[in-house]
Amino acid sequence: MASLSCAATDLTPLLGGTTTNATALANFLCTRFDSISNTLSDASYAINSTYLLFSAYLVFAMQLGFAMLCAGSVRAKNTMNIMLTNVLDAAAGGISYYLFGFAFAFGSPSNGFIGKHFFGLKDVPSSSFDYPFFLFQWAFAIAAAGITSGSIAERTQFVAYLIYSSFLTGFVYPITSHWFWSVDGWASASKPTNLLFGSGAIDFAGSGVVHMVGGIAGLWGALIEGPRIGRFDHTGRSVILRGHSASLVVLGSFLLWFGWFGFNPGSFLTIMKAYGESGSYYGQWSAVGRTAVTTTLAGCTAALTTLFGKRLLSGHWNVTDVCNGLLGGFAAITSGCSVVDPWAAIICGFVAAWVLIGFNVLAEKLKFDDPLEAAQLHGGCGAWGLIFTGLFAGKKYVNEVYPGSPDRPYGLFMGGGGKLFAAQLIQILVIFGWVSFTMAPLFYGLHKINLLRVSTDDEMAGMDLTRHGGFAYVYHDEDDSHKAGFMLRKIEPSTSPTNQSLNVSV
Amino acid sequence: MDVSWESSVTDSINTIYLLFSAYLVFVMQLGFAMLCAGSVRAKNAMNIMLTNVVDAVVGSISYYLFGFAFAFGGSSNPFIGTSYFALASIPDGTYDYSFFLYQWAFAIAVAGITSGSVAERTQFTTYLIFSFFLTGFVYPIVAHWVWSSSGWLSPSSSNLLFGSGAIDFAGSGVVHMVGAVAGLWGSFIEGPRVGRFDAFGKPVPMRGHNATLVVLGTFLLWFGWFGFNPGSFDKILVSYPSTSDQGNWTAIGRTAVTTTLAGSTAGIVTLFGRRLIVGHWDALDVCNGLLGGFVAVTSGCSVVEPWAAIVCGFVSAWILIGLNVLALQLQFDDPLEATQLHGGCGAWGLIFTGLFAKEEFVIQAYDSGESGVTRPYGLFLGGGWGLLGSQVVELLSIVAWVTITMGPLFYALHKLRILRISVEEEVAGLDISSHGGYAYAAHPEENQPRFYAEYMRLQSNYS
Repeated sequence: MASLSCAATDLTPLLGGTTTNATALANFLCTRFDSISNTLSDASYAINSTYLLFSAYLVFAMQLGFAMLCAGSVRAKNTMNIMLTNVLDAAAGGISYYLFGFAFAFGSPSNGFIGKHFFGLKDVPSSSFDYPFFLFQWAFAIAAAGITSGSIAERTQFVAYLIYSSFLTGFVYPITSHWFWSVDGWASASKPTNLLFGSGAIDFAGSGVVHMVGGIAGLWGALIEGPRIGRFDHTGRSVILRGHSASLVVLGSFLLWFGWFGFNPGSFLTIMKAYGESGSYYGQWSAVGRTAVTTTLAGCTAALTTLFGKRLLSGHWNVTDVCNGLLGGFAAITSGCSVVDPWAAIICGFVAAWVLIGFNVLAEKLKFDDPLEAAQLHGGCGAWGLIFTGLFAGKKYVNEVYPGSPDRPYGLFMGGGGKLFAAQLIQILVIFGWVSFTMAPLFYGLHKINLLRVSTDDEMAGMDLTRHGGFAYVYHDEDDSHKAGFMLRKIEPSTSPTNQSLNVSV
Repeated sequence: MDVSWESSVTDSINTIYLLFSAYLVFVMQLGFAMLCAGSVRAKNAMNIMLTNVVDAVVGSISYYLFGFAFAFGGSSNPFIGTSYFALASIPDGTYDYSFFLYQWAFAIAVAGITSGSVAERTQFTTYLIFSFFLTGFVYPIVAHWVWSSSGWLSPSSSNLLFGSGAIDFAGSGVVHMVGAVAGLWGSFIEGPRVGRFDAFGKPVPMRGHNATLVVLGTFLLWFGWFGFNPGSFDKILVSYPSTSDQGNWTAIGRTAVTTTLAGSTAGIVTLFGRRLIVGHWDALDVCNGLLGGFVAVTSGCSVVEPWAAIVCGFVSAWILIGLNVLALQLQFDDPLEATQLHGGCGAWGLIFTGLFAKEEFVIQAYDSGESGVTRPYGLFLGGGWGLLGSQVVELLSIVAWVTITMGPLFYALHKLRILRISVEEEVAGLDISSHGGYAYAAHPEENQPRFYAEYMRLQSNYS
């Protein structure tokens, strides 16, 4: 590798006695500067790749967090089923997103609706995309499908699950992300020209693209399937069907919080970028840090508000409700985390908590049963998050995160006019419409051919026993009661409820 | 002499990258602990989790004192390292503390694999003995052969085996096969768990007690694998001279992608394969299938195309299913199916690399992308037999070495009657008999024994 040093003794031979060999001198200096430039370029690739890769790993950890949240929120007899759906989201999503999902989402140059390059990662790495970016986007894609599985938990046939999950991760979600995140997308805020309303919609890490998509799909699935048996009694009163492990719910919530530090700040994709003059202490690394702060503040505020809100409404301090409130705050701030001040994030979280509580009350009134309250949380708080961004996005931040169109609109309450706010509303409507248009008929079709919901017997016994080979928890050996001899017969799962203990905690 | 700006920046970036990868590999220890806990019966949960903790703590001492030295010391002996005992003269120009920590995280993973094969019936004191020996001696020697630049199998040696050296990038053989072959001998010499095969030789299912922990463990292992495979590049800031914007950062991203695709494919294939064979959708089998895919791609993750990783995962799923069937027929009982998974899929991973390695990627991984270099590569891609031959030699050497070291050790322990626990202790469970009580107190109002003497008294009350 060429030397980066430059000393006078290197130059004097070129200056000679009385003549200056100007060309040689210039070539010499320029070569040195090129070497420095190349080294810097290499360093910035390494730094940015490290940053993006570790962010991707964190977003992947959210898959585990959501699996644990789901497991803890359902009854013990359905634990295997819901966890398998989470594992399959990641595995099947990996294949479908690699084969065509990524291409639909980011295959530029293309049109405003759908991408058309990089099928099977052909031509990657290119100057626009490298492998870390694919991995990061894959981690996002598998998150969306996971959300939906929460809404239809405890009563959905596994085959139906495989079908809708592949469709959502391989088609519905990538198209949505193309509209708002690709440089070609018709509503994208990073489009170079012809921005929607002169603004484009700002959904930085996906309150709409990820959370609303998952939540609205779940809404239709749960509506079409109907509530779980026993959830609403014959007089219409609601019966709480408690999850089997609060510890898992908390474990999952904390893992999701941990992973959100990759989800939100990681969406900057690069960290080594100065804003304005080089050599200042302020650059994209500062924005990354600020985004982590806004994320944290929104979640915390939502959690606290839920704590006190539910204390008023139901009379006690409820940990699982607080965890859900926390996650609602995160889902909401995800849209505007990079473009708002920290104080605004507190407002975001505060409102998100009430949005979630309100939607839960509404769901009960309408006899809508969502075991994870996923439609209310991800759909409702996600939509609020988009609105919040339209109100509170700051001018300086918007121009740093989405450079290239100075004088662009920003938050309504910050003096930026109504155009960004309007674009956000369009995003909400369009996502609701697109996801309904694609997923509702799919769920309805599955329902009509009896592939969607499990039978009453299966639901009462628990899907683990009937479809997944046995219960998740076996705290006492089957042979504990046979003190004298050893087992001589194979254990077969029976279809009638056994005396297995189901009230277990982890 | 002042350190130059350039090398400070480079070293900082590389150190951050390697350290965080090491932390991720360490998370795999937690993942494996959870996987093990969930896969055994409730009465043995304390025992298996303690073995996992002990792996980490005992392995740290032995690897620090001499394991790292055997693995990476010296520059001339192709069999064993001869310097860096207790990290003497570290840091030097070649190795720094971050590298030691990274390698330590790998070393403690090996013994964990073996603990799965001998679970539920091994005396704890014996466990300490073989864990110390495996992490401090058996494993580092293999690591020296393949990963030290003086090792006889290494692709970075000056004297390349078959002109190639064996490519085991993150250790399908060095880590997974070593752990598995040790486990094979331990489990075989000990024999199956009481009640595992009935009087007619038919297998009796012994289900793990907590599927949630199995899934938790699997996902944590997946998460940690992002440090295990891509981190094995060691340095991220290495540019490839023949390109303008590519370097190890590109190959690292590609390695994370191949890792993901292999595991995902193996998981899906296992899902449908087991559905055909047993008639239901089995979450635990899918978890094991996933892990088998990761184990297999660990050898060639950095040198194959993403589409090849899909092939790797597809085949590894069937290998695991097939070996599990074979194990039952041979009445071989491995509670975690660790031998089949880490041994079988690990061996397939070595072969896979010999078939599908791409020359451009091999040069990136082992020659920093230098132009004008040629290397043997995958047979199916036209690269000749040199690489595949080296892979086979690595495979056979590992089986032989681990057999002649761990086989006699287990046999001696068995002959001294300190390997396996007694039948009464096994039926009672290791937790109550050796670890002071049960892991779970789900029903405190019941008449649960609090220690072993009480348990025995209750037993005699029943009969």
